[in-house]
Amino acid sequence: MSHTFKTGGIHPHGFKTASPEIQFQSLPMTATVLLSQHLGAPAAPIVGKGDKVTRGMLIAESASYVSASVHAPISGIVNSIEDVVLPNGKNGRAIIIKADETEHESDICARVEYWTKTVPEASSRDLSESLSSKEIQSRILSAGIVGLGGATFPSHVKIGLKPTQKADTLIINGCECEPYLMCDDALMCTWAPQTVEGVELIMKAASIEKAVIAIEDNKPRAIKAMRSALDSAHNISVMPVKTKYPQGGEKQLIEAVTGRRVGSGGLPISVGVIVHNVATAFAVWQAVATGQPLIERIVTITGDIPAGQRCNYMAAIGTPLADFPYTLPEEARVIVGGPMMGRTAVRLDTPVTKGTSGLTILSGKGHRPIQPCIRCGACSDACPMGLDPYLLATYGRLRMFEEAAAADVADCIECGSCSWSCPSSRPILDFIRVAKQRSRK
Amino acid sequence: MTQKIIFSPSPHIHTGRTTGGIMRHVLIALAPAVACALWFFGLPALWVLVTSVASCVATEWLITRYMLRRPVSLSDCSAILTGVLLALTLPSGLPLWMAAAGGIVAIGIAKMAFGGLGCNIFNPALVGRVFLLISFPVAMTTWPLPASPFTDTDGATGATVLSQLKMGLADSGALDMLGMFTGDMGGSMGEVSAAALLLGFIYLLALRIIKWHIPVSIVAGLVLVDLIAGFPPLTDILSGGLLIGAIFMATDYVTSPMSRRGMLLYGLMIGINTAVIRRWGSYPEGISFAILIMNGATPLINRYMHNARFSPRRKEAAA
Repeated sequence: MSHTFKTGGIHPHGFKTASPEIQFQSLPMTATVLLSQHLGAPAAPIVGKGDKVTRGMLIAESASYVSASVHAPISGIVNSIEDVVLPNGKNGRAIIIKADETEHESDICARVEYWTKTVPEASSRDLSESLSSKEIQSRILSAGIVGLGGATFPSHVKIGLKPTQKADTLIINGCECEPYLMCDDALMCTWAPQTVEGVELIMKAASIEKAVIAIEDNKPRAIKAMRSALDSAHNISVMPVKTKYPQGGEKQLIEAVTGRRVGSGGLPISVGVIVHNVATAFAVWQAVATGQPLIERIVTITGDIPAGQRCNYMAAIGTPLADFPYTLPEEARVIVGGPMMGRTAVRLDTPVTKGTSGLTILSGKGHRPIQPCIRCGACSDACPMGLDPYLLATYGRLRMFEEAAAADVADCIECGSCSWSCPSSRPILDFIRVAKQRSRK
Repeated sequence: MTQKIIFSPSPHIHTGRTTGGIMRHVLIALAPAVACALWFFGLPALWVLVTSVASCVATEWLITRYMLRRPVSLSDCSAILTGVLLALTLPSGLPLWMAAAGGIVAIGIAKMAFGGLGCNIFNPALVGRVFLLISFPVAMTTWPLPASPFTDTDGATGATVLSQLKMGLADSGALDMLGMFTGDMGGSMGEVSAAALLLGFIYLLALRIIKWHIPVSIVAGLVLVDLIAGFPPLTDILSGGLLIGAIFMATDYVTSPMSRRGMLLYGLMIGINTAVIRRWGSYPEGISFAILIMNGATPLINRYMHNARFSPRRKEAAA
């Protein structure tokens, strides 16, 4: 019997059809680097207009405890620091870097050198012996690493445990339960040894003895690659978990792996666990073993586009979404992230950020006629938090926010299982979001 | 950029299951029971079925189109389903105008007056049936006996197994169980063949349209009372409308509880009520009333019984 969470869950079709090989998306001539690519305070710029920057250089500092540094993804001149439009239509402050031909050429050479020589040959095993826990933590902090599974929570905050906190298990999240997305799968198939070393570094940094790498059982190649990269000197295991959405949800995954349940409003550390994404582990390895900060990430381009265009790209942060090679269908929803939790972009000149796991391009409006609720209970059965989505949605619609709070609307993880499963196509999650936001104290 | 980019909230994909699709699956699940009705009761059964469905569909259409002035919603097939379910609870020899009146009450009063699909408290088909039973008790309890197929004769009529037992005309030990299982007994059009109904049950379970909780707990409640009262449980399960009620009526989404715990309580109470009415009430049959009573209790059950939460509530947060 494979491991899984017990309450609710759904089984959407996977559509994991992108090529698992990683292509290299060419560096942009102009990079738009947002100051807020993470949860918490936006980073504070330390460069000004006209300054020369080089690839990998720190350009904005972590502004508070919960914040993350930002580095230059390309070499060039700071063209401006201005508000740009984000994929969601809101404004966000960004540093815009423009490269000239010579800088561009030398960046390309350095990048090829990095991925073809440095990464395959480097190892952090000797370093992790000599580095102390604090030193690894400070490298994670200075590399601007955030949770790459989508939540973009600054990683050093999770790893730097308070003296009162004790974790016995590190869970590395390689579930990738969102349909369509394959960036973690591609990473594990391509750089498994490096990722495993990254896991060892996080274990050392957070002083955790045991780590479990959880991978949904629809990724046999990744499971095999990660297993063969394990080293007997460390207590790390690979645990295949059942393919079921939202298996990669933090609380769901903790239950699947350890059987422990995080209480309402609680953090994983309350049950002695910390969870990091596999891509975060790889970023930690890059920072420690190669010294490269978080300036590139894997982005899946997939969906209703020609099969040959469905690919995983290593792309520089700041690359405009429109730069990737894809042909949009007539009427397209361009979703930043996966189809369950991702958000549609309203414009495509916005950049890749640290949290951009992919673009899922779906054709058609996606609007279905909303019909009356027939109280079938499909939403309640699907809810992985065991809530009653139909009731919370009704509270949201009728603006009964106190009742919603009393019915634990704050527990909702906004996974979308309720709306997915509703036969009457009701926008359940939309109303729950309203209730959740308005009932927050 | 010439393409149109569309904004929409997540999730962006959908199960593909629709309300109309679910209703059509239930209709498919009823097909064996309908086939049995036509086989055993012949052409009169067909006319009752057609009249009931036509009456339900026409009532819904007239009310949405001319009274509510809303977009007509017949494509969700719920009116057709109500019509079929109503017909299956009627005797095949019922005058057609009565079947039509049942359909008008089922849709017009039990469903549309409450606000249409999803808003009704009581199962429309059962309200239609009970309306007819109370208004026309003789016609509604004149049960043509199963005959050879499609012979349009004035076939013999007779009492149901339950009323024979109630009146002391039959000995429960001497009943033909196999006949009761396949449908060779007196009764309403759809209730006679347990085999056909169970086939539909398996279909609905396999497609996850319904859960096992309600039908199984109804049978459990019934058997519980039978054991106490010393009545043979198998006879009770196979006779009357118990199975069609448990599988197709009590499991109606709109009028049954939403949580699994609630379903178990609801089913258990229906089973107990049915047995109590059958043993000690003045009617030989009790499932219709039992379901309607518990339909009324469903909002209360939904209020207090929920599925298990993932996270136990934090004590300090509640304080």
